[in-house]
Amino acid sequence: MNGLVQLSFYCFTAASISLAAAAVCYVAYAVGRVRLRRTVLATSAGTTVTTSDAEFAPGSVSAGRFGTLLAWFGFVFAGLSVLTRIIAAGHGPSNMYEFSLVFVFFISGIYLAFERMYHVKQLGAIVLPITVGMAAYVWYLPASMREVDPLNPALQNQPLLTIHVSLAILAYATFAVSFAAAVLYLVASRREIAWLPSADLLDDVGYRAVTLGFPLLGLVIILGSIWAYRAWGAYWSWDPKETAALFTWLVYGVYLHTRTLRGWRGTRSAVILLLGFGAVLFTYYGNYFFGGLHAYGGVK
Amino acid sequence: MADVSARPRLAGRSPGEVVIDRIWRFFCSVRAAVYEIVVLTLIVLLGTLRGSSVPQMLADNVPFTKPIVTRWYAYDFFHSLPFAFILTLLSVAITICTINRAPGIWRTIAHPTVPTSWGFLRGAETSARLAAPADGPALTDQLTSALRRQRYRVLLAQKGEETHLYADKNRYAKLGTFPFHLALILILVGGIVGARYGFRDQQFIVPEGSTRAVGHGTDLSIKLDRFIDSYYQNGVAQSYQSNLVLLKDGQPVKTGSITVNHPMTYHNVVIYQSSFGDAASFRITDSAGHVLYDDSTPLGLYHAVYNPNAPAGVITLPQGYQISVIAPDDNPGNVPTNDPIQIQSGQMYVEVHKLGDTTPSTTRFPGKIINQGTTANVNGLNVEFLRERRYTLLQVANNPGIPIFILAAFLLVGGLAVTFYFPHRRIRGIIAASDTGAVAQLVPLAKRDWSGQRDFQRLLDELERTLGLSVTRQAGRATGAARLETAEADA
Repeated sequence: MNGLVQLSFYCFTAASISLAAAAVCYVAYAVGRVRLRRTVLATSAGTTVTTSDAEFAPGSVSAGRFGTLLAWFGFVFAGLSVLTRIIAAGHGPSNMYEFSLVFVFFISGIYLAFERMYHVKQLGAIVLPITVGMAAYVWYLPASMREVDPLNPALQNQPLLTIHVSLAILAYATFAVSFAAAVLYLVASRREIAWLPSADLLDDVGYRAVTLGFPLLGLVIILGSIWAYRAWGAYWSWDPKETAALFTWLVYGVYLHTRTLRGWRGTRSAVILLLGFGAVLFTYYGNYFFGGLHAYGGVK
Repeated sequence: MADVSARPRLAGRSPGEVVIDRIWRFFCSVRAAVYEIVVLTLIVLLGTLRGSSVPQMLADNVPFTKPIVTRWYAYDFFHSLPFAFILTLLSVAITICTINRAPGIWRTIAHPTVPTSWGFLRGAETSARLAAPADGPALTDQLTSALRRQRYRVLLAQKGEETHLYADKNRYAKLGTFPFHLALILILVGGIVGARYGFRDQQFIVPEGSTRAVGHGTDLSIKLDRFIDSYYQNGVAQSYQSNLVLLKDGQPVKTGSITVNHPMTYHNVVIYQSSFGDAASFRITDSAGHVLYDDSTPLGLYHAVYNPNAPAGVITLPQGYQISVIAPDDNPGNVPTNDPIQIQSGQMYVEVHKLGDTTPSTTRFPGKIINQGTTANVNGLNVEFLRERRYTLLQVANNPGIPIFILAAFLLVGGLAVTFYFPHRRIRGIIAASDTGAVAQLVPLAKRDWSGQRDFQRLLDELERTLGLSVTRQAGRATGAARLETAEADA
């Protein structure tokens, strides 16, 4: 069993390296190329005048293709890491180490799905660095958390544990894509950059991601309530983790309503998506701050 | 000339009607709803932070915020008037908004407007011109069949020589918003019903071998036959199990074991495993030999005043006695001076007080230490310490709001899925004769809807492929992907 735990970590290491390389490629692809052109002109007086101007061009197509390839490698290795970890542990994710492994896997997967749907690689310049950041967090966690610990009685509820936690992380991963779309939207709507996707397309990506994440998070809250009813006798206890998830859900509820409001759709909606992802991170890392019944993350 | 028969908007209406109209418009306003949700979100955030160390960190780093933080921690946001008010406001808004929107949505579904205008078609963001050598009716039939194969409903209206077309699909998905919003209200209703008509006892303690009445209007009592706890090799708890007998009017009606996540249910009452602790069994008799007490008392709900690590329990007898029991110090790291009574393992310290006795106790330790299996006379009562036992801490609850919550859950998820994953797609168009046969001008009703525009383009591809029509696309702006594909092709 120890061998599987180690294998899981090696797969995660491979995923981290691939995803970091993919992030670099995507950034190179999205930022584009800047070429300085200098012209030397001779004047009639016999002197010379030098002028220079910057020429912007799309990033290398190869960088985008390598980014996608490396992202796929990262996704596959992250998936293997999660799979071997589940086999070793005998249960779904139950602490921050395991949550974060799954987060890395899901973010990369959701991103690749959106890239395929919309043929937009520039999103990778935002999403992949987030994924790498999450991978860095896994490295930051104490090595002791890589060991498999048995579940305490409160967490012994399959399949609810696996479904509830997995759906939560999947929802957060889709919100990461909406965040990326919002960032690019704010850039695209302010600067005329020919090789960036149109603002309308980015607005649609953000909206589609939320239409995936919002029902998922709603389902997470419902399943969590059902589990709370089975375990603690009440489906809602105003536990900080519960209310943090509700807070996140409400932020995206605000976003969905503002899309129908004249004057709110566009920039303001995009800003709400940025705030929404902030709410996601607040909820995800809340174990560092919250007391209450959800103190299972293994962190203080 | 103005239509003098038309009623001006507000003239002739009573002030009451105007007020009701204004209130109605307020609750129907999406803008107002957004602000209400924002306020609710902020209250939820403040309440969430109250359960965290974040305010304390703020107070530690910004000293002048200490008074605010103290009040922040003291204020129960989720049971406050502002919170209840905003929930009520939102519920009313959802109800009124739903009533207001329903007729319009139904009209769109059942009786959409078919005739359009050339001005509307020309002004659309995206449109397409389909030309065919066939005449108008033939082109109309071709388009109608093709659209129906793509699951579109097609409605036609003849205006002179022109045929006006309206096609849509997933029209019933527009109804998905109603179950979703209804679910939000049902969740609140379920919570109110549960709180009003149910009960939840979070500290239901039953020592091993003892029976305790559930109360709350039930005729139930719970007997704990045995409590079993097991641990992994690393000391982490593996399982807490209580073997229970459920009695109704003193007769057993159900037996079974419960663990965390596996409660026992009897009709609407659910019994949950929560925690456990140590208890002590006593038999107490008076000087005449009458048995006043023969049961177990949980230890740990109290602690000795002089030592917080000495778990204690209290027995109150109907004969007017209160017995305090103190167990040995459970922290082996404590220095002996923390335990002035020096209770050893296998012993209990017992004090007996008469209730109503106002004589101040000047004697520091009026009680006695009793060894397991022995009896001591304490303040006139014979107290026999039988043995140490376990107690189980259960939660006993009855929540009649649960079925409402489950229904709301299905409606919420179902409503969202229908609304988001079956978008209502609509097309308007005019088919007219042309010099070379007939031409159809089609536009999607997808303003600033990239996905809607993309679906329209895909439909045109399909029409081009299956009908062999000449399609001229007149896009208002290129899609980002299309521009990028062009850039890639040029690179």
